[in-house]
Amino acid sequence: MLQRGVKILHNIEDSLLVIILLAMVTLAFSQIVMRNFFGSGTIWLDPLLRVLVLWVGLLGALVATRQDKQISVDVLTRILSEKLKVISNIITRSFAAIVSAIIAWHSFLFLIDEWHSGVTAFASVPAWLTESIIPFGFAVIALRYTFQVIVLLIKVVKGAPDQ
Amino acid sequence: MIIAVILLILALLGAPLFSIIGGSALWGFHSEEINLQVVTIEIYRLAEMPVLLAIPLFTFAGYLLGESQAPARMVRMAHALLGWMPGGLAIVALTACAFFTAFTGASGVTIVALGALLYPALQQAGYPERFNLGLITTSGSLGLLFAPSLPLILYGVIAQQASLDTPVNIDDLFLAGILPGLLMVILLSGWSMWKQPKGQLTTKLDGREIFAAIRESIWEIPLPFLVLGGIYGGYIAVSEAAAVTAVYVLIVEVFIKREVKLRELPVIIRESMVLVGAILLILGVSLASTNYMIDADIPTRLFETIRAHIDNKWTFLIALNIFLLVLGMMLDIFSALIIIIPIILPIAAGYGIHPVHLGIVFLANMQLGYFTPPVGMNLFIASYRFNKPVMELYIATLPFFFILLFAVLVITYFPSLSLVFLGP
Repeated sequence: MLQRGVKILHNIEDSLLVIILLAMVTLAFSQIVMRNFFGSGTIWLDPLLRVLVLWVGLLGALVATRQDKQISVDVLTRILSEKLKVISNIITRSFAAIVSAIIAWHSFLFLIDEWHSGVTAFASVPAWLTESIIPFGFAVIALRYTFQVIVLLIKVVKGAPDQ
Repeated sequence: MIIAVILLILALLGAPLFSIIGGSALWGFHSEEINLQVVTIEIYRLAEMPVLLAIPLFTFAGYLLGESQAPARMVRMAHALLGWMPGGLAIVALTACAFFTAFTGASGVTIVALGALLYPALQQAGYPERFNLGLITTSGSLGLLFAPSLPLILYGVIAQQASLDTPVNIDDLFLAGILPGLLMVILLSGWSMWKQPKGQLTTKLDGREIFAAIRESIWEIPLPFLVLGGIYGGYIAVSEAAAVTAVYVLIVEVFIKREVKLRELPVIIRESMVLVGAILLILGVSLASTNYMIDADIPTRLFETIRAHIDNKWTFLIALNIFLLVLGMMLDIFSALIIIIPIILPIAAGYGIHPVHLGIVFLANMQLGYFTPPVGMNLFIASYRFNKPVMELYIATLPFFFILLFAVLVITYFPSLSLVFLGP
């Protein structure tokens, strides 16, 4: 049940990435065509494209966390023993989870302020909507790292039987 | 201070870099009693820089090219055109890799995509194995200095945030990279001619093969002209060039050549966006930490500390070279750019170093760092790809390392090499 839910979430993330990137390619290209051949671009397209960069970035970061492909320094981890590696993973991932959670929480508070103030980002799109990916993204990243820590802890408690 | 040490230890233990930078920004703002919501506002600036659009679009196009047969066609064409020269095949390898890296941004893709083609070809031509390994591993980061490479664009983006007296234009960076990049290719080509196996028969210039190779690559040939001509000619902005490239590559490889199937596209998009996401996440949080550092006057204070020990530009450049070489071994080029540039740019400006020159020096050093023992990333990628012990790669890349080190020194101490094409 839980596994199915996780799989659906992964599919949604992947699909969103594909849709947003293809939208960016199409919109950016059509903007160039319109500007150069018809002398007029659409005013709200440029801000929309810039927001999509933020969205594709944070969604990509979610997937990077899922695939354990976040950029990190691996000078030390390469020489650590298997056991020490698990321990250092628990420490570093907990840290990443905490930082992400703090950013998610304050972004959420920021979002509520924006919602109350009714600011618009462009056209009549409210600013809170374009910004909502920040708390959402960091919250999911925090959850992912938390899960990874739990899995690692279980492994430690069970005494790493898979060796 | 204690916090800084803890963060450093966490980073060395392999904590994701975004959490280190984000954590330091949070701590900084917290200790100044600034509302932490400011971090959100800084991250949102990712949606306020038009040029950033180029990053996902170029990365996608590069991954797509890597999945198609374009690398094989490119090698064939380079071979048809350059194979007749002494050391021809090695020069083919260098040219093809430099070209491919410029479009894919040196994320290790070059070794994986081109290495498989070039390595056996070099072997067959009679080059010693060690030379081949060294050449391919070195070439994996060659081409970083040529437009439209991602690190060049990223440097421009970050330098623009620093609001210096001398504005940094990405088009200028593209111009500045040409001669330093060529210097590296030429030096390595010279070494390859020298190391050419005795009695090796170079292929003859064959009109029919050239014609066939060109015909096969007819769709890819316009691409560099489209992109570089558009940018250097001033017709289109960098982000627009990225959009044109993405559309063009998509149409050619998926619909005309049909080498990438439509159903493979989602995975390619996802994998390319994972890299983009990892980069943009670090960039986002570092906008916050940079803002804090500038608020706290850290670059200025660092500059004063350094100036107490280093009194001239040239000594500073030597120290910078050493520092960057070590940095390049430990950090990948993207995080190194994002983290270090905001700090050293103002310091270098204090010594009167042109920001565009600094960018070229920085990237040239980083390129070297890719295969500097013991921990350069490409050493491990090549070790994995060719199934050789890393130790063997250390030895294989050593002569190439010294050649490029020489190039880096020339690039560092002759600023005019980078700045000659720039306007007054």
